[in-house]
Amino acid sequence: MLSFIGRSIVQKTITLFFVSIVSFLIIHLAPGKPSQVDPLNPKFTPEIVERFRKEFHLDKPIYVQYVYFYRDLFTGKTVSWKDNQPVLGKIWERFLNSLPLFIVGTIITWTLSFPIGIRSAIFRGGFYDRSATFFSYLLISVPGFFFAYVLIIFVVTHFHVPVIGLKTFGIGDTSWLRMIMDRVWHLLLPSVLGATGGIAILSRYVRSQMLEVEGQDYVRTARAKGVPEEQVHYKHALRNALLPFVTMFGLILPGLIGGSVIIESIFSWPGMGRMAYEAILARDYPIILTVNFISAVLVLAGTFISDLLYLVVDPRIRL
Amino acid sequence: MKTIGKDSRVDDPMADRRSGIEEFWRLLKQNRLAMIGLAIFGLFFCIALLGLVLTTGKNPAFDPAMVRLQEKLRPPLSRPNLETLRSEEVPRLGVYLFGTDDLGRDVFARMLQGAWVSLTVGFVAVGISVIIGIFMGGISGYFGQNHTSMDTLIMRFVDIMLCFPSFFLILTVVALLPASMYNIMIVIGLTSWMGTTRFVRAEFLSLREQDFVTAARALGVNHWRIIFRHMIPNAMAPVLVSATIGIATAILTEAGLSFLGFGVPPPHATWGSILSDGKRFIFDAPWLTFLPGFAILIVVLSFNLFGEGLRDILNPKLRERY
Repeated sequence: MLSFIGRSIVQKTITLFFVSIVSFLIIHLAPGKPSQVDPLNPKFTPEIVERFRKEFHLDKPIYVQYVYFYRDLFTGKTVSWKDNQPVLGKIWERFLNSLPLFIVGTIITWTLSFPIGIRSAIFRGGFYDRSATFFSYLLISVPGFFFAYVLIIFVVTHFHVPVIGLKTFGIGDTSWLRMIMDRVWHLLLPSVLGATGGIAILSRYVRSQMLEVEGQDYVRTARAKGVPEEQVHYKHALRNALLPFVTMFGLILPGLIGGSVIIESIFSWPGMGRMAYEAILARDYPIILTVNFISAVLVLAGTFISDLLYLVVDPRIRL
Repeated sequence: MKTIGKDSRVDDPMADRRSGIEEFWRLLKQNRLAMIGLAIFGLFFCIALLGLVLTTGKNPAFDPAMVRLQEKLRPPLSRPNLETLRSEEVPRLGVYLFGTDDLGRDVFARMLQGAWVSLTVGFVAVGISVIIGIFMGGISGYFGQNHTSMDTLIMRFVDIMLCFPSFFLILTVVALLPASMYNIMIVIGLTSWMGTTRFVRAEFLSLREQDFVTAARALGVNHWRIIFRHMIPNAMAPVLVSATIGIATAILTEAGLSFLGFGVPPPHATWGSILSDGKRFIFDAPWLTFLPGFAILIVVLSFNLFGEGLRDILNPKLRERY
């Protein structure tokens, strides 16, 4: 166990190192310079560009820039090129905005997928199963931005509530109940949209796991000895089908930072995805690279946690 | 079975022989959703091809870039106002089938033009990723036994690529590169080969232990011929499935990029950009949102359904007994 942990930490650190190199190269070798973002701005004289390049080490060879950048990142001194704010602080602020979206979206995904998937598996081949299958394909295939507009049109015309942004602009100080309801309405649509793909994929996965377990001998034995159908499904089958999902708790970790660029820009939600999108538009390399680095860390940490959880819950795996 | 004589009785009760393709077709016909997917895909292919022919050239039958400012935001199926239009500005069908957008351009013509973009982006991007995937996975699975370092190197590279958040990576690179359709295809292709590599490698690991590979090796067939002629045809099933679903994903990615404004540069229409231009008028001109949205939805859905059908058909374990 300890040796497994040690080995994977070393391996993941090496992977992370290469990820940092690759992302740095992608950004810096792409054509175009950050100083060309706004060539028509009269304040952007050649002297200013030169000072700018010196300030951010852009005149140094690329490997020196690499060392400077990651040294700054680890000491927390990286600043955004756009407004000179510390990058980590900016990301943290945006992260707190994205967090409710992520939490609500995850709760919706996990509470809906399981009942849908289990019911599909129990009534395999029936009308319910086939329509659930079709709807999950529909949800996977629908472009997020299109679905977002359909929902916006629906909610705005039927319920007459504003949904764009974090809260209604200029709502001021009304009663706390109205304030909370306002927040909930604004939170609901983007989180539902973030959850759609997840519901479709996860419910299919629950269904296939459930079907696999339902075909096992011990389930047949339970039926043969006269255990009531309910108990067969929920006690014998479901418990064993749940095993792989424990590990998925680790794999949702990267979703924390990925956010959704498209959904957040449609709803003007000041979250991580939107910040990353704005950083790309402004060629704000420190922010792009930091977001990339943190998300790589989360992906690696996620797989690590899911491996560990598997070790803990499945006694058949011993290292 | 060949050793039993032709006129022997033992032959009679055997199931009738079917070639692989006949068997495939029979199974496909049983899977209704997959058939619908295939039919829609066929239709989409024809429309895209037709769209390319009708909207390009010096004097196209449907001009997607023709601006008629006096005919702004006309709803679908509305008749053009013939008095204010010059003769060459009148839409070819005599009616705005899908309406017009905020510049009075014929949405039907723009949708036709966009179909070709979706089709090519999907196929070329997936083509690139499948070629890279087969090549990397093949090398890693076939030579991995004797050259462990090569296998490790390729699989670690896959791990590294999987660490990047894919849409964000594509967005970054596309935004940094000059806008063009080819860049989008290449970038989507270069960032989505990891799954194929893993499938092909897994297949190769089991295939290389099989007798026909040993036999080919014993005959002195060279490595590349074994890989491409003998092993890859046997490893194609999972690749085909993931490629079909990959096309769906690539079309969605391209639409998302177009929507954010990083797609094919402006005068050219794509479904994502029609939707993006129309979003300012969602309450006044909902057809600008719904038509391209449903078009993308239906095409992507057809690829997903067909891909899932293929998975069932090509995997004998999932097949229902008959």
